[in-house]
Amino acid sequence: MTTYNKPIPVPSPSTEFFWTGVKEHQLLLQQCDKCSAYRFPPSPICPECLSSDYTVKPVSGKGTVFTFGVYHRLYSPAFEEDLPYTVGMIELEEGPRLVSNVVGIAPDDVYCGMPVVVTYDDITDDATLYKFKPAG
Amino acid sequence: MDRKLTGKYAIVGVGQSPLGKVPDMGPLDLLAVAAKNAIEDSGIDKNDIDGLITRGPDDINNHHQRIGQVLGLDVNFSTSTDNGGASQIVNVAIACMAIEAGMCNTVLVGYARDSWSRSHRNRSANMMVQTTDPSLARREFGPEFGMFGAPVNYALSARLHMQQYGTTKEQLGSIALAFREHAQRNPLAFIQKPLTMEDYLDAKTIVDPLSFYDCSIFADAGGAVVVTTLERAEALAQSPAHILGFGFGNNLRGWHYGDHMVNTGAKRAGETAYAMAGVGPKDIDAAQLYDCFTQMVLLQLEDYGFCEKGEGGPFAASGALRLGGVLPTNTSGGQLSEAHAEGMLQVVEGVHQARRDYGPDRQVKDAELVFVSGHGGATTCQSALILGNHR
Repeated sequence: MTTYNKPIPVPSPSTEFFWTGVKEHQLLLQQCDKCSAYRFPPSPICPECLSSDYTVKPVSGKGTVFTFGVYHRLYSPAFEEDLPYTVGMIELEEGPRLVSNVVGIAPDDVYCGMPVVVTYDDITDDATLYKFKPAG
Repeated sequence: MDRKLTGKYAIVGVGQSPLGKVPDMGPLDLLAVAAKNAIEDSGIDKNDIDGLITRGPDDINNHHQRIGQVLGLDVNFSTSTDNGGASQIVNVAIACMAIEAGMCNTVLVGYARDSWSRSHRNRSANMMVQTTDPSLARREFGPEFGMFGAPVNYALSARLHMQQYGTTKEQLGSIALAFREHAQRNPLAFIQKPLTMEDYLDAKTIVDPLSFYDCSIFADAGGAVVVTTLERAEALAQSPAHILGFGFGNNLRGWHYGDHMVNTGAKRAGETAYAMAGVGPKDIDAAQLYDCFTQMVLLQLEDYGFCEKGEGGPFAASGALRLGGVLPTNTSGGQLSEAHAEGMLQVVEGVHQARRDYGPDRQVKDAELVFVSGHGGATTCQSALILGNHR
């Protein structure tokens, strides 16, 4: 594997399980045991009802592009070859929204509401990123 | 709505630092000069200042403890707030509340930053344009996807607004052009070069749909104001800008939650400020709106009630924002052309317009009510201030 010089996510105590799931090609979210709301980013408390009881569950990985922007300006040299690249807000069918890249499609062809599905990018031996590609 | 504070307090002095490229001054120096100018403008003896509020702490150089030392101030009340570009109006409001509570009588409020110098020291500085401590930067759920910088959040909003309401790039451009035209009337504005729609549309893309002229400029800039009671204001030679209303709306669940990136906390901020002042958006004669990006101006035109939701694009393109238009906006050139001091210069210009300081080329004729706004804190915070020529 060539040297990976883009930022590698640094998990915090509450997000460790999420990144471990991604490493295993699973998208895991917390679902509140009291009000059933899924939440993201991970937290010990449900932002809807403040319950501390939750279950970590694999989610479908299906969603839609809520909105997106296409980077033309370079902020980090590591992304030079990727320009222009798409950063989107992905709304999962379970509710929460995640920032990610929309891949496998030209930026000009992406649109708000576009159905997408998760795909995994093993960036190093120890780290994996979740990204989204057109569904179907 | 309790209106007991309306008209009881006033801004009695304003000042700013040199704007643009000021490589020989750091943020603390810029703020010191702005503060000195504000104190001198007010005519108040600096030893009568017994309150100090600055925006902090993400830029520790402006921390109240440091600027107080520079200005030689021992005060009753001082603090630094952290609502990003919404802080300046938060600080004017806290000044009124602290005076009302009997904590102090005359409060200096200010902020400065050295964004031009800081971003032009070397290539990597220019690339990242850090205005905050890198150790505070998010290290997951963003940078690993190449999500950097401030423009992206407003690009996400603009994309959604365009798709929902048919807003066009040219309509966003009309905002940048109006403010640039105002900057050309302001001899202190950093960027005064004429800007055409062709220039705007041909400019390099930053994060599509936003391009170069949709983004505020990097400038070294500072501003300050002096807030005191009406009684004290009336004893001064300088005419006051009366503080008639203020309000806040902070969607702390974030820009990415719900419909927040299209319906912002500005709606609540404006409603609170209007209720306190006993006026509505139709009564406003001029506006100084927080313009980190053109898209943010467009959202505020709607959320503060100057036009309907979704109509911000056509409203801006109608020429409404230009001097002589129905809502002359960012009459000094704003953060898109004059200089970006996180909303501090919006307050300064609001006071100038409310006091009718200018000649006919820049003055909004017979300006009675001036609306000023702030926005920031990683997109979550909105602040609104209504200044009056009279009580």
